[in-house]
Amino acid sequence: MAVLQLRPVLTPEERQQKQKLILRDALALFSLFAIAIVLFFVTYLLFHSFSVHRQQLAQRWLARGDSALHAGQPQVAIDALRSALAYAPDEENLQIELAEALAAAGRTQEAVAYFNTLLETQPGNGLINLQLARLAARQGSEVLAIQYYQTALDGTWEGDGYIRRREVRLELVRYLIDCKRYEQARSQLLIAAGNAPDDPNIEIAVAGLLEQAQDPANTLHFYKKALQHRPVRLAALEGAGRAAYALSRYLQAKELLERTLNHPDFEKQPADIQAQYRNMLADADHILGLYPSSELTVRARAERILNARRIAQERLASCLSGKTAIPPQLQTLAGQWQQQPATLRLPQMEKDPELEQTIMQLVYQTEQITAQQCGAPTGDDALLLKIAQAPEAIELP
Amino acid sequence: MSAPSIQEAVKRVTARVVRREEPPLDMDKIAPTRDERLFLVLSIFIGVLSGLLVVSFRIAIEWIKILTLGSAPHAGQFRLLLVPALAGLFVAALVQLFFPGARGSGVNQTKAALYIYNGYISFKTVIGKFITSALAIGCGHSLGPEDPSLQIGAGVASIVARRLNLSKQRLRLFAPIGAAAGLAAAFNAPISAILFVIEEVIGNWSAAVLGSIVLSAISSVVVARWFWGSEPMFRIPSVTLRDPRELIAYAVLGIVGGFSALVFSKALGYLRPRLRALPHWTHYFQSGVAGLLVGLIGFLGLPQVMGPGYEVIDQAMHGQFAWKLLIALALLKILATTLSFSSGTPGGMFAPTLFIGAMLGGSVGSFEKLFFPHLTGSVGSYALVGMGVLFAGFLRAPLTSVFMVLEVSGNYSIILPVILANMIAYLLSRGLQPTPIFEIFTHQDGLVLPSMEEEREESELHLEDALRAVDVPLIKGSESIAEAAQAISVVQASALLIHLWDGSWYAMRAEELTSIGATLTPDTPLERALPAERAPILFPDLPLDSALPYFPRWPLVPVMNRASKGTLEGIVTLEDVLRRYQRL
Repeated sequence: MAVLQLRPVLTPEERQQKQKLILRDALALFSLFAIAIVLFFVTYLLFHSFSVHRQQLAQRWLARGDSALHAGQPQVAIDALRSALAYAPDEENLQIELAEALAAAGRTQEAVAYFNTLLETQPGNGLINLQLARLAARQGSEVLAIQYYQTALDGTWEGDGYIRRREVRLELVRYLIDCKRYEQARSQLLIAAGNAPDDPNIEIAVAGLLEQAQDPANTLHFYKKALQHRPVRLAALEGAGRAAYALSRYLQAKELLERTLNHPDFEKQPADIQAQYRNMLADADHILGLYPSSELTVRARAERILNARRIAQERLASCLSGKTAIPPQLQTLAGQWQQQPATLRLPQMEKDPELEQTIMQLVYQTEQITAQQCGAPTGDDALLLKIAQAPEAIELP
Repeated sequence: MSAPSIQEAVKRVTARVVRREEPPLDMDKIAPTRDERLFLVLSIFIGVLSGLLVVSFRIAIEWIKILTLGSAPHAGQFRLLLVPALAGLFVAALVQLFFPGARGSGVNQTKAALYIYNGYISFKTVIGKFITSALAIGCGHSLGPEDPSLQIGAGVASIVARRLNLSKQRLRLFAPIGAAAGLAAAFNAPISAILFVIEEVIGNWSAAVLGSIVLSAISSVVVARWFWGSEPMFRIPSVTLRDPRELIAYAVLGIVGGFSALVFSKALGYLRPRLRALPHWTHYFQSGVAGLLVGLIGFLGLPQVMGPGYEVIDQAMHGQFAWKLLIALALLKILATTLSFSSGTPGGMFAPTLFIGAMLGGSVGSFEKLFFPHLTGSVGSYALVGMGVLFAGFLRAPLTSVFMVLEVSGNYSIILPVILANMIAYLLSRGLQPTPIFEIFTHQDGLVLPSMEEEREESELHLEDALRAVDVPLIKGSESIAEAAQAISVVQASALLIHLWDGSWYAMRAEELTSIGATLTPDTPLERALPAERAPILFPDLPLDSALPYFPRWPLVPVMNRASKGTLEGIVTLEDVLRRYQRL
């Protein structure tokens, strides 16, 4: 009340002026409000049309970038994807695609910088780590590449993560093989194979990589696994034949190579490939013809041992005749032969299994030492040398 | 602001004042609180209207860009040469013939409106700024929309305030309110806008206007975010500082930024007055030629330097460019912006400054990544800090630069590198180029506006600066007139200081003592002879001018200790105060 009493008393004219002032202010505020509403709708229309247009532009440039990338024109793709990104800056896949295009265009430094920045926002993204691994591999940073591959394997993948991880693992294996890190490659392959479904294509791929990683035993295992599927794939037969041959399992190799040659698709293979498998089969056949198998009759076995003895002695004699100074290994070998009876008859051999074994050991030793001292053998010597590498494996199933 | 626009403004202000005087309304009597109440309500309206206009302005720029330069301008397109050149010619004609007030960035024009034209910015200037800036920026001139947005906001505020016939004092205050709204909407960063207006336009934290600035800035940002979303202007990558050694790299960035700011401001300071001094008819062609040259840079391989370049800043922040390209972009942007701005093309320098800073920061970051890969800082964080660095070094708004980076990134962990790099750039730039760029422009335009940087650094004088020891007789109130007369005659003082029983003080002139001695007996205690009033009690930390009102009445003013009641620190006389001021 005290405050009210302090207010100056207005004359009727002043009161009228005050009312006019209030009315004028109210009208002014109302008109401001109306202007704000009108301006809002104008701005909204402008903004909406612009937003729609931006989306259209982003899609249009993305499509152009995609097609350019697939057409092997990474530079065009970079420009298009950059344009798309300007209209859809938050599109993560677009960013990754742009970085891929940069990498494809050979702009490795820019691509690495871009991927690193992307990685900071999504450190667990499998695709980004994979791309960085590829770039590191391209730059020759072996350790970094393997590290990125490993992070990519542990990272997150959209949708088909299971399949993508296996693909990344196989890519890592290929890289490890290229780096001659066979041990690591074999470990990764066994993990990949262990997680893979029962699919012949995957088994063939794994077996192929195991073969490159110099693991013929597992190679043969996975090719044989693939052979259990129908229809039998030529690649599986060929691979299994090769693996059995590499493992000196010539009996098995012969069977597999025969099946290979009889496969309907074999004739579609290039001539040199066909010749390669035919030669392998021929070799396996001959090896089995030379090998004194325990499955043979005693006589037949003794005949083969005597034949092998003759071949080895001739090889040693030929090797010694070519030398002016005889190396100690050859001297020792010659001494061992001299300790054996000069002539051996079939009945003698048939009665003495220990002699058989001693002779065959000496044959294998002769082929190995002469190969070292006098160069690679040919003909039956070469086949005997192959038997010498793993004689117990020849007839393994 | 050019001569015709000044005349126009003066005419309008005069006309408005005449109109206001027509109805003899005694506002203080009939509506004493009207202005105050309307002030806050209008701040919100100004914020909303400015926000809407700035959003429209930005969309207009984007539409013009797409329609003229295409959706993806790239090197080798002849339109990159033609469009900015033709747009420059058209814009120059508009500015020369219709919108002379639209020339320049908008910051100095807003300051001029505040300090010279009583907050007056014409509707024509607002429209002109909108159209000419949108055309120039959209057609590829190397300029930004923030400063024009600031002027558009200030113009909206001025128009609204005039329509409501607010007092002249209030009218003047609306320009910075609108400026904050315009800038906040353009930046999508209210705190930076408020700070910038305080740092660069008003110059001080005035309580009278701060609340309204905040209200309008927030209103405009709410509107802008309704359209653009609440995301910051740039997509900010994750920012971390794990290794303190990285601060060395940020310090290097500060040094690079400081020198770059110097190069940029020297280039502008050199070219702009020379182009302005050319015959008037050349002003119709300068923007066109500048557009052609900027277009040539784009045509020959780097179209990124055209326009404000936000998307390029974004790309740099996400490591899409190698460090050599980033350096090339920074240097060419300095050249392009110098050409565009010096030619008088309407448009701002905020965006180019951010662009150059981001490119420099990105290049330092990429360089670090390349040669010191064990350090963890991302290219994005360097680009982000780089923006603040050039803002601090070139625009000389250190506080705004720090908060802008924090606000734009939304990440407090970058505070250390930001402060370090920004301060280095600021101090280096200030040391090498004492006059800030906005002040250089005002001098070139023949105006004398207050320098906010100087005002910030002015050291205010305090009473302690003029304080002197008590060299006049100090008498107790219980002592007699005779004792006082004896004390004053011994030292030949012109005044004495009397300490009364209640702790108060009285400063007495010698003449006054003589006159009371003539009317009272000599043994009368002084306290009985004194009038009721007492000398004011001041403290050493008070402003020096706070003593001035007391000297007509008192020969001297006692200065007391704040901590120890009744302890006299010294005295101050009018001569002491004046002498201290004269020593400045």
